[in-house]
Amino acid sequence: MRRPAPLRQSAAAETLSSGGPASPAVVRPDASLSRRERIENDFRREQRQRERSGLRRQLVLGLAGVLAFLALWEIAPRMVPGINTKMFPPPSHVVGVFYDMAVRTGDIWPHVGASLQRALWGFLLGAAAGIAAGVLTGRILVLRHLTDPVLHGLRAIPAIAIVPLAIVWFGLGDLSKVMLIAWGAFFPVWINTFFGVRDIPAVYLRSAATLGAGRWATLTQVALPAALPFVFAGLRHATSVSFVVLVAAELVGAEKGLGFLISFAHLVFRVDIMFVGLIFLGGIGFLADQLFAVLLNRLFPWYGAEARR
Amino acid sequence: MSQSAVRIRDVSKLYASTGGELNWALTDVDLDIASGEFVCAIGPSGCGKTTLLNLIAGFLQPTLGTVQVAGVTVDKPGPDRGVVFQEYALFPWMSARKNVEFGLKMLGHGAAERARLAQGLLELTGLAHAAERYPFELSGGMRQRVAVARALATQPQVLLMDEPFAAIDALTRATLQRELLRIWQELKLSVFFITHNIEEAVFLAQRIVVMSPHPGRIQEIIDVPLAYPRDRGSPDFGAVYARINAAFAQLAQEAA
Repeated sequence: MRRPAPLRQSAAAETLSSGGPASPAVVRPDASLSRRERIENDFRREQRQRERSGLRRQLVLGLAGVLAFLALWEIAPRMVPGINTKMFPPPSHVVGVFYDMAVRTGDIWPHVGASLQRALWGFLLGAAAGIAAGVLTGRILVLRHLTDPVLHGLRAIPAIAIVPLAIVWFGLGDLSKVMLIAWGAFFPVWINTFFGVRDIPAVYLRSAATLGAGRWATLTQVALPAALPFVFAGLRHATSVSFVVLVAAELVGAEKGLGFLISFAHLVFRVDIMFVGLIFLGGIGFLADQLFAVLLNRLFPWYGAEARR
Repeated sequence: MSQSAVRIRDVSKLYASTGGELNWALTDVDLDIASGEFVCAIGPSGCGKTTLLNLIAGFLQPTLGTVQVAGVTVDKPGPDRGVVFQEYALFPWMSARKNVEFGLKMLGHGAAERARLAQGLLELTGLAHAAERYPFELSGGMRQRVAVARALATQPQVLLMDEPFAAIDALTRATLQRELLRIWQELKLSVFFITHNIEEAVFLAQRIVVMSPHPGRIQEIIDVPLAYPRDRGSPDFGAVYARINAAFAQLAQEAA
């Protein structure tokens, strides 16, 4: 309704074709249109080709980097005289051990399962508490000022330093690991949520107020969604913290888990098993991080666009 | 036109800047906006025009004096006064339709009723075809159409607009101005519209409030006795333009 009239196609075609050397003063609309289409198609094809070759180059370089790294790792221990390959197992050996543990015997999976379960519960617990605390301290000034010194003080303590305390309080079982991970995950989620909620553009809150939104509606339907990208950034950070704390807790005392596997391998001097544990930790951490990156783009397509404005 | 939609009496607003310096953003403002009247406020930055709008909207409270809307003293924002901000005030996580429906939801309308009313508002502002798009997918002009539709959703009698078309290109702005006048006449709204563009004020307003800074105050209120639709090229239009221009020239001279 009442939109500006679309640009007349023939007018655009005229200007285009009148510039060409082949077209005289008389313009045949059909011929000029097909010429236009041809140019567009060529342009599109070139564009696609350029994109694809750019992507291919990136892929090839990435792969080359990985191969160079593996080659260096394979060759280096053999080049240095007197080095013990038990201390520096080359990838060709690690692959065999990896295959044994992951496929042939499947010995690694109980460890992976135990670690994942602890990380997941701890993460969920810490994230839930972090979001709640972030929203409350971000919105309610009294709560913010009341809790600020304490929360920032606690945040400054490295989570790993709490491991012995957690064992004293919660024992050597899963509970102490879950609590530790929750503790570690809480802070990044809290602080990101807090900033996200505190720094909501005033114009959103004013809009909500003129549209008749009360406190609760403003909190849940305006403040929280506006802060969600920040909450997500906090959750993403919290996943990596969760793995750090998880391994620290499992190294100290556990009978299962990837951290336990690594420390056990240390006792029996199996560096190759350590490597397999590290590969799994790296892989899981990488996947969790990618998951958040994908979710962020999927759930908040508006966020990137707003940030770029 | 007899009853006042907005009644401002002896209003002054004192601010403390971050440095602790005190500053009268507005002094001794008296202004009535009649029901169904279109009033523009114009003036250089620091003249208090946005402060005046914020007082009517209820975002701020006057230090002295009273602001009444429909006979009731304003003490907080409310759905009886729609506000259109300069830009980027739409909720970016909601589609155009959801933005328009927000106020209806707050009023307690059901989903079907919301969809019906929002559709009508989007048609009114010429955006029915883009209802499912998100603000970041809309041009500046389209965004402000959604913003108007959203502000009208709660059926306010007063529409407050804070330089809503300032960031929009001149051609689109002219279209939006014409459509705003159409909507204003159709819904019989009272509009308080802030601008720093003399031409915009003369094109839109029945009365123009010329404001001046340090301290912020009303310098002069000028009637615009031109019939709608107005012709920017007509001599009468030029005469009103010249009059306001002269008022600002005099202001600049006094300041120097």
